[in-house]
Amino acid sequence: MRYDADLNFVYAHTPKVAFGVNVVADLGTYAGEMGLSKAVVITDSFLAEKTDLLDRVKQTLGPLLAGVFTGVIPDPTAASMDAGAVYAGEQGADSLISLGGGSAIDTAKGIAVVLKEGGKILDHEGYHALEGPQTPHIAIPTTAGTGSEMTMVTVIKDPERKQKTFIGSFHLHPNLAILDPTLLTGLPPKLTAATGMDAMSHAVECQISSLGQPVSDAYGIEAIRIITNYLPRCLEKPDDLLARGRMQIAANMAGTAFSNAMCSLNHAMAHTLGARHGVHHGTANAILLPHTMRYFMDVSAVEFARVAVAMGIDTSGMSAEEAGNKAADQMEQFVEAIGLTDRLGDYGVTEDALAGLADVAMTDGTIIYSPKPVFEPQDIVEILRKVL
Amino acid sequence: MPIDFPGEEWTAAYQNAINTSAEYKEAGKDWTHGAIAFVVPKDPVVGLEEDTAFILELHQGECRKAWISTVDEAKQQPFCLTGSYSQWKAVMRKELDPIKGMMQGKLKLKGNLPIIVRFVKAAQVLVELTGSIDTKFLDE
Ligand SMILES: NC(=O)c1ccc[n+]([C@@H]2O[C@H](COP(=O)([O-])OP(=O)(O)OC[C@H]3O[C@@H](n4cnc5c(N)ncnc54)[C@H](O)[C@@H]3O)[C@@H](O)[C@H]2O)c1
Ligand SMILES: [Fe+2]
Repeated sequence: MRYDADLNFVYAHTPKVAFGVNVVADLGTYAGEMGLSKAVVITDSFLAEKTDLLDRVKQTLGPLLAGVFTGVIPDPTAASMDAGAVYAGEQGADSLISLGGGSAIDTAKGIAVVLKEGGKILDHEGYHALEGPQTPHIAIPTTAGTGSEMTMVTVIKDPERKQKTFIGSFHLHPNLAILDPTLLTGLPPKLTAATGMDAMSHAVECQISSLGQPVSDAYGIEAIRIITNYLPRCLEKPDDLLARGRMQIAANMAGTAFSNAMCSLNHAMAHTLGARHGVHHGTANAILLPHTMRYFMDVSAVEFARVAVAMGIDTSGMSAEEAGNKAADQMEQFVEAIGLTDRLGDYGVTEDALAGLADVAMTDGTIIYSPKPVFEPQDIVEILRKVL
Repeated sequence: MPIDFPGEEWTAAYQNAINTSAEYKEAGKDWTHGAIAFVVPKDPVVGLEEDTAFILELHQGECRKAWISTVDEAKQQPFCLTGSYSQWKAVMRKELDPIKGMMQGKLKLKGNLPIIVRFVKAAQVLVELTGSIDTKFLDE
């Protein structure tokens, strides 16, 4: 294995996860047990106004609810986090409940820091620079993708730098994650597919990352197996609670895995496309993933052969490279089959823009964990060109 | 003669090692992002009685100034790296990969991450150069 020579790691994640159909109804009980009395819900206006999800949360919180911030935006900016912190401060919040996809959860993580530490979110940029526990946070994901409910990072778009940056700290793990499959039945097919492929990318990338270790490998491999089997089922039958629940578990496992092993080049490109051209994070990861796999085949064939097995490919008699290439081919077919046929051109990306995108991707925090050093921006240009 | 780490003499030796490194001159030639500070919290067990910090003022492949500072001054720099004495020792002896150490929370980085990533090669050279100093560790 790639880590046989030097195995040492620290493994950390959100300490408690409650999973089950209608388990969101227990939120008030959990919050009470945690001693919370003034919870502010962090969500977006779509979920607040066009779905019943917020009402369900309000109902269970009862008198513990101190306010609702509906200013979450996709790919949250530093300013949106700062605005949320001002609002939560005005309500006297002692805790935060994020309700939504990765954007809501990441926004709440950012607010949690500003409420506790003061200043603005970008004042706290860094890794493990936070010195103590932050504002208590219960995360309720409504997509099955980012796994942010388990991770130690918040991803922040900085419009000035036109780039995503991170804050990473063991103090950013939410205190509790609530996974309720009934929250996902209204997630539209395109978002179901795209967020599911974000989880797939986490699971695959942590197999090859330079920080990988046996625990993240195991979580990631099982997540790949589940996503292969259940993501198509969610698309065929959106209210299939078994399939929705399995996808939540897979996203949760993949998030746990990558929070410890980190991602690599695929996410570096996806972050850049999200920040510069508004390509949805999961969609970008999905369409790039097969090409990233081929790019790393020379150093990671053994790991991709394991991915092949998890995807249900019969690899008997194949060399690692044959099996790995088969995994990349099947990944490409899978992405197409679930309807993610987007091209970068659809988002206004032109050939002329590729070099600039590659330069930004070269500075994304995830790229340094790639299984071989990516020193040449031209390598990235060539991958991006394949999906232009 | 081995030089005590940390200390003024060691910091000067580090500045010298950086300024005589052709590799750093090249890798850091576009660096215009200010100083990098290092903090080593006190650890009486190894014989470090006070919190200690030093700052490197780096600019375009050169270390213009290096000095022992207070922790407060260190924390005000654009980049500040904090690690226990034993972690720094492990880094200098190449027993701890600094990137891995950073992810595992053994080294704590305050500052703009994309800039550090852009200069990851320069950062690696800086770390390697610590190994070129004949260092005497307090607990040896
Ligand atoms: N912190 C981490 O560990 C981490 C990991 C991966 C991604 N991310 C970040 O997460 C963000 C992406 O999150 P995402 O993919 O979950 O999407 P998202 O949170 O941006 O949500 C996308 C859209 O889906 C809608 N939506 C969410 N749940 C819904 C539901 N149940 N029904 C109907 N509509 C619903 C939202 O209203 C929104 O318009 C990006 O900013 C990405 O960088 C963070
Ligand atoms: Fe992701």
